[in-house]
Amino acid sequence: MDPVKLTIDGREVVTTKGKKVIQAAADAGIVIPYYCYHPKLSIAGNCRMCLVEIEKMPRLQIACNTDVSEGMVVLTQSPKVVEARKSVMEFLLVNHPLDCPICDQSGECWLQDYYMQHDLQGSRFEERKEHDRKREIFGPYVVFDGERCIKCTRCVRFLQEVTRTGELEVLNRGDHSTITRFPGRTLDNPLSVNVVDICPVGALTDRDFRFKVRVWYLKKTPSVCPGCSTGCNISVETYQNRIARFKPRVNEEVNSHWLCDEGRYCFHALTEVERLTSPLIRQEGGLVPTDWETALWAALTGLGKADPLAGVLSGRNTNEEAFLFGKVIAKLSAQPALEVFYQERELTETEKVLKSPDRSPNFQGARDMGVSTNGGFDLLLRELIEGKFRGAYIVGEDLVSLPGNGEKIRQALEKLSFLVVQDTELTSTAKLAHVVLPATNFAEKEGTYTNRKGRVQKLNAALVPPVGALHDWQIFARLLPDVGEKISSHTPAEIFQEISRQIPRYGGLSYATIGELGIQLSDETKQL
Amino acid sequence: MEKILLRNIDIQDSHTLQVYESRGGYRALRKALKEMTPERVTEEVKASGLRGRGGAGFPTGMKWSFVPKDSLKPKYLICNADESEPGTFKDRLLIEKDPHAMVEGVILASYAIQSHTAFIYIRGELAFGAKVLERAIAEAYQAGYLGKNISGSGYDLELILHRGAGAYICGEETGLLSSLEGGRGWPKVKPPFPATHGLFGCPTIVNNVETLAVVPWIIDQGAARYAAIGTEKSKGTKLFCVSGHIRNPGVYEVEMGYPFRQFLEEDCGGVPGGKKLKGVIPGGASMPVLRADEIEGVRMDYESMQAAGTLLGSGGVIVMDDSTCMVKTAWNIARFFAHESCGQCSPCREGCHWMEKIFARIDNGSGEKADLDLILNISGNIIGRTICPFGDAAAMPAAAFIKKYRDEFEEHIRQKRCVLT
Amino acid sequence: MALEFSPETWRRFEELVGRYPKKEAALIPVLSMAQKEFGHLRLQAMEYVAKIIELPAARVYSVVSFYTMLNMKPVGKYHIQVCRTLPCALMGAERMAARLKRKLGIQVGETTSDGNFTLTEVECLASCGTAPMMQVNEDYYENLTEAKVDDVLESLK
Repeated sequence: MDPVKLTIDGREVVTTKGKKVIQAAADAGIVIPYYCYHPKLSIAGNCRMCLVEIEKMPRLQIACNTDVSEGMVVLTQSPKVVEARKSVMEFLLVNHPLDCPICDQSGECWLQDYYMQHDLQGSRFEERKEHDRKREIFGPYVVFDGERCIKCTRCVRFLQEVTRTGELEVLNRGDHSTITRFPGRTLDNPLSVNVVDICPVGALTDRDFRFKVRVWYLKKTPSVCPGCSTGCNISVETYQNRIARFKPRVNEEVNSHWLCDEGRYCFHALTEVERLTSPLIRQEGGLVPTDWETALWAALTGLGKADPLAGVLSGRNTNEEAFLFGKVIAKLSAQPALEVFYQERELTETEKVLKSPDRSPNFQGARDMGVSTNGGFDLLLRELIEGKFRGAYIVGEDLVSLPGNGEKIRQALEKLSFLVVQDTELTSTAKLAHVVLPATNFAEKEGTYTNRKGRVQKLNAALVPPVGALHDWQIFARLLPDVGEKISSHTPAEIFQEISRQIPRYGGLSYATIGELGIQLSDETKQL
Repeated sequence: MEKILLRNIDIQDSHTLQVYESRGGYRALRKALKEMTPERVTEEVKASGLRGRGGAGFPTGMKWSFVPKDSLKPKYLICNADESEPGTFKDRLLIEKDPHAMVEGVILASYAIQSHTAFIYIRGELAFGAKVLERAIAEAYQAGYLGKNISGSGYDLELILHRGAGAYICGEETGLLSSLEGGRGWPKVKPPFPATHGLFGCPTIVNNVETLAVVPWIIDQGAARYAAIGTEKSKGTKLFCVSGHIRNPGVYEVEMGYPFRQFLEEDCGGVPGGKKLKGVIPGGASMPVLRADEIEGVRMDYESMQAAGTLLGSGGVIVMDDSTCMVKTAWNIARFFAHESCGQCSPCREGCHWMEKIFARIDNGSGEKADLDLILNISGNIIGRTICPFGDAAAMPAAAFIKKYRDEFEEHIRQKRCVLT
Repeated sequence: MALEFSPETWRRFEELVGRYPKKEAALIPVLSMAQKEFGHLRLQAMEYVAKIIELPAARVYSVVSFYTMLNMKPVGKYHIQVCRTLPCALMGAERMAARLKRKLGIQVGETTSDGNFTLTEVECLASCGTAPMMQVNEDYYENLTEAKVDDVLESLK
């Protein structure tokens, strides 16, 4: 990495050879506006918004395609540059409709933002605007508005270079240029909605999200996608205590800038359910509401008499929850059979860009916490079906609804002498339980997930849970004293401190060290 | 003046190998393969002072020397036969009448840069030219000037004739490369430059037909003879294509530095029909127009044209007499560029059409005085700010017409109609 | 029925593709072949080319839309392309186009009802010294006058 020294706007900037001016400037906190440039895509150089003045070069140069060199003098605010940006903005708006009030991009549109920063003039264009297709459905999640498109080709390049599926291309030429699919084909690859994220304007919008809420009302909470064990970093964006959308958060160690469609929309199934708001207890064949104290006592006494006992934890439970769950089960059973839910499926080449083969974002963490004493989830499930257990404590997984074995599992669960199910809704599995405990979902709680590659990342509460439900970790924490385990941790952060003391691989870690981008576990983490 | 480029075209069957060889054809190739290293060929072309005849005028030998010698990637030589600049039809003449001169030029250039695969990218519309070239290439293969072990030298070269499908921008060298890669003819951002990262990322040289067609003569006759012709910085002869209001339109071979007025009035017979010269575009439609009073003292070479505020370009001389409406003319050119803009970068995609719409509005009588300055401003906002030279090519003539015929434009706007009819 | 090349065209296709450094480089000549074989490049033709040249169909569609000689819509038996660019315009291209429109009874961009003639205005065809000019299919007709336009049309009937 050869260092290169250059001057940008009078400031000395030290960067490395091979960097482009736009990156070197950004690293130094100097913002050069752009549309078509994207750090993860090839350089197109077509929008011309990043034109800068470079000493000794007669013409303005695009910062996105100019290599830094020793002694280079760059001006990003000179009168020539300011004038050029203004004119690029004018060109981009020539055929752009002025319909911001009915555009879903409003509020996060780069044309709007840059207009304020770099243009601020009335239009001199008095000719007839060219028209283009409006509201064309590109795929299950993506809709296209041709008139709002600035032809930056980010979407085209993403589909050529990242997914390698090539569904979108530019059609025609000149000012009739537009983005198109092949007629009759749809944009439906497993990462399709990333084109919405990278579209700087309102040309490509998310059919699932559009017109639900103005973006400036969204509350954004950094978190981790619960869709699989890749652990893509996301921003959970909520409005009136509901999730409006997931957006990917940049993390080069995990998901770069991307998020898969399945993960992006998994919140619907996980959060938009009829919530349990009271514990239930079986009486005369039916489940009836009860208070927490009664329910927890019934659960403990029931499970305590049902040895051998199986404990199944959801793959979406946090490390903190897994840690406590292990302790609860250990107290209830002499030979606890404990596993975290885990099932794999085949992935396509495009899915492999981002997805992991499971749907258990924290199976690695749960196993690290000791929630794997029975030779894997598959074996536990087989033994459950074979009738090896008398009791079961199932957290957050609707085993009866699993494709394939569902009916066999139902029969096995019906034969148990005692079943406790802890979940957010009254699932088919919960309906078989003796005690049902109302819990919260991934978006309502704080905690950590450890992804497939051993990266510990932080979940943050984006929603307020319904009254009557408790977090899984709270439930476990309330059970522990009753089984004779002293507990001094009263928050996820405190539980994590306990983990870092007891689990060597997590030694020395804390929420502060994990930060917003997570931390990679290794043998050295102990010394941290 | 000795004809170099047009030396064969008036001979019966000049397109055949037999006639070409009988006039000394392929002598240069045999000489180069036998007696000269590739570097020596490049040096010879450098010494001749030959500059690219496609429009930009970049020194040809220097361009060749940019090809990395130690590259492990294949190298490509491409002959740009996508002649599309309005007012230009010289390459078509060479292709149809003297195809072997360019084929020999292609082989010599390929040898110089040590390419083993060469392409001739011919614009799709030139169906007859493609047939002639196809035949010439087949003859050259048969005679052992192409293929394996050319003339027993151990040097191999495959030559592929590639027909385009209709897009002016494919004449721009990186647009041509995109097209030859099976894509839209979108020019590529530079750097990197084609000499190091061209076709499929491999070192590539793109030369115009006229440039390559003169190379055999230079190698055969020696650089010094070529360099003795023309001016200090514009060596040799150049083809000029004369069209429009002129008595004797056609392709002329002219020694660089020849007086422009004399050329138009004497060689080309002047403006016919008792009319007077009103303006002339000297280098194809993308170059600024000169008023009749501006051509005095102008010479036909790169420097003199530049000093006169225009460019030699491709040598497409379009002559306009005093019955020509300059509003309509400017609109015609603006429409051409609006039609041909590839649509890739913002200023050109939006600006070309914007200018075209304003010119059309002025032409049909709905213009306003402020429109003229608006066009000048739009033109200025395109020049120098696009991926490829097309932006300048579209913007320069628009501005030139307004600046040089402003009175006519203003009168046209005031009267809401053409003032000449 | 699925479109495909005739055995003879397929042989030429394979030979052509074999000469290029990459298969996709042959896209434009292959599209020209397909246009010759199938008349025009309808969707199935583009899908077929995409398949045999191993590119996404959208890419082929995009490329076809870029080039004026590649037609997605059918053209008449005779495709008359009259040049409208400056040198031809100076020499009377508009009159030639008007003559063609009147004689054929169609506007620019249209095809005669018998399917014989399609009239298009095109940009410079490198025949400026012999302006005005037009191209009919692959042949150039130069130094046009209205009488010559009439003669050409007559000869094509």
